[in-house]
Amino acid sequence: MPFNAIPAEDFFNRESELHYLKGLSELKKNALGGDVFLEGARGTGKTELLKQLYRLLYWEGDVVPFYYSFKTANLKGAYFAKDYFAGFVRQYISFAKKEPLIAQGSAEPFERLMPAISSLGLYWLIDCIEDFETHVNKNDFYWQIVAAISAPVIAAKKSGKPVIVMLDDFDAAASLYESSLGDTTGLISLFRESMQNSLCPHVMTGSAGALDAIFTDHSLIGMTEQMRLGPLPEDVAAELFGAHLARLKISPPPVEEAKFLAVLKGNPLYIRNLAKAAWKMRKKELHEKDLIECYSFEVSDGETAFYWSSVLSRYMKTAEQRRAMLKILMHSFENQGFDDVKRLSILSGVDETETGAILAAINVSGIIRDKDAVLQDFIRCLYMKEIEGRTAVYAKEKIETKYLSEKEESCFELVIPMSSNAELVVAKAVEQIGKNSNLDAEFLNYLQLALIEVCINAMEHSGSYEKKVFLKFITRPDRLEIIVENSGKPFSPDTRKEIPVEEKLRMGIKRGWGFKLVYAIMDNVKVERVNDRTRVIMTKNLKDKEVLE
Amino acid sequence: MKPVQFSVASKLVGDAAVIYPKGYLNNLSGESLVNECGIYIGRGITKIVVNFSETDLINSIGISLILQIMEDLRNIKGTICCTNMSKFLHDTFEMLGLIQHMIVFPSESDAIKYLKAGTP
Repeated sequence: MPFNAIPAEDFFNRESELHYLKGLSELKKNALGGDVFLEGARGTGKTELLKQLYRLLYWEGDVVPFYYSFKTANLKGAYFAKDYFAGFVRQYISFAKKEPLIAQGSAEPFERLMPAISSLGLYWLIDCIEDFETHVNKNDFYWQIVAAISAPVIAAKKSGKPVIVMLDDFDAAASLYESSLGDTTGLISLFRESMQNSLCPHVMTGSAGALDAIFTDHSLIGMTEQMRLGPLPEDVAAELFGAHLARLKISPPPVEEAKFLAVLKGNPLYIRNLAKAAWKMRKKELHEKDLIECYSFEVSDGETAFYWSSVLSRYMKTAEQRRAMLKILMHSFENQGFDDVKRLSILSGVDETETGAILAAINVSGIIRDKDAVLQDFIRCLYMKEIEGRTAVYAKEKIETKYLSEKEESCFELVIPMSSNAELVVAKAVEQIGKNSNLDAEFLNYLQLALIEVCINAMEHSGSYEKKVFLKFITRPDRLEIIVENSGKPFSPDTRKEIPVEEKLRMGIKRGWGFKLVYAIMDNVKVERVNDRTRVIMTKNLKDKEVLE
Repeated sequence: MKPVQFSVASKLVGDAAVIYPKGYLNNLSGESLVNECGIYIGRGITKIVVNFSETDLINSIGISLILQIMEDLRNIKGTICCTNMSKFLHDTFEMLGLIQHMIVFPSESDAIKYLKAGTP
């Protein structure tokens, strides 16, 4: 409901947007503005902006606000029509009488509202209700929807007072149907007439990729202005976090330990959820380690995880689709993009048509457009839980370890082509990385050899179409970790047959020394298959003699 | 270690050929090492010294090609000696359990002396 907005003083940094939207009816009346499509990453506060606008207009009284959320709406046409119409009637009367409770009484039948309507002299509204009920009684599906959608326009015309129509998550209206999901397309276009009315500016929210998909009529796109809601600046984000903590009576982290908040990229939803997580975890004061702990809880099992889980469920209805989507998303995060449908189909385990549909849903949802680190961590956790069968605690710890260890480590990434002597570039890189960490030159020779062998193995045996090897070097004071990844045929060192050297020489077998060297040089070698990639993780513990003073 | 472009030089010392692989010994360069040895074997030379003083990096394919040379010489009852191996190179062969199957000398002159002294 529009009345559960956060206190205006906690609504940070959106003054100019709020001011603009507030003046929208005046702009539209003078043909200086039209309707607004409010876009931005999920959690940036689009819904909250609508609620703030609603509250502002409600108490100022010059423009009637009407808010409708498609997020929770029943999209079966007849239900939607009743819900939309009833919502408008209640909110209108509530506005006129300045009684918020009227807007919230969703179970109250129209008859009970009649005395209030009569006392306000809104006889045209009674006609409106009667017309709508006639369509309902006739079971006239089309006119029920038209009557519902037109109600704000009729109200504006009859009263002369503009109505700002706020349609939250409007892209969901593209899925309105008659009897069963998908049986009718284009019902969303019934909003066109209402949107064109000069007394009724519409402010819609939706995912970033949705506008083209929902407006098949391009004239509507032309008259709809896009307003992008960006993230909060770093200082404002910190201020907002501090304000939430203050309400929860938690001491904020020292400034130098609050840098971790950057991972939230100024997203008000994440900021609020993190503060709440700290409260749930009974923190009295916060340090960086606490922030990481709370964050890991949030993305694995907290409100942020719940939020994203419900967003995914909106697009993926079955468990199989959801698992396939997870695999595709994980793949895209690790490869900075999508492969062709054919390869993704093999990866996701569903056919190409289904894979194409999942990709389209991902695109329309706009969820990966903003390179959201929080979403990526949530997907990682969900992947661990739903694909790898891990527990939420395990996933939480993995995320925690990731951020805690990142603090003390330096990380280098390198991509080499699968071409002749490319492994020498890796050898050179590891030499410099080793020098940076003061590692002994002779010790580095062995590391170079191990890396060269893993790279050669990838180049020779993977048959990768991508023809690239991805390397990551993570150096810590006591440990060096090298991760080598390549697409292509799976490789498992377990399939290596250990033949004694004497026998190898006697039989004239000359190859197959590479991984023997790798195992001899490194302290730990792990080979995994992640999606369609082989990942070799090598660890070398650094002893004193290997590090120069 | 500064891997340089591979090259191979050689000379004849008495009835032994001395080969100098230089740089990174991998599949491509290993092939030219095999070819160089093959030229001497073709001329009837059965004693070969490989001086690794300028070999700064080797990979498993390079190692397999050295094994190829060892096998070629064994087939004609010849001898191969490895000299001037860096600690790293020595360790690499040792890690693989190959060092005991090779004749290794600290220096080229030691290997020449050994080959002159008689049949191993």
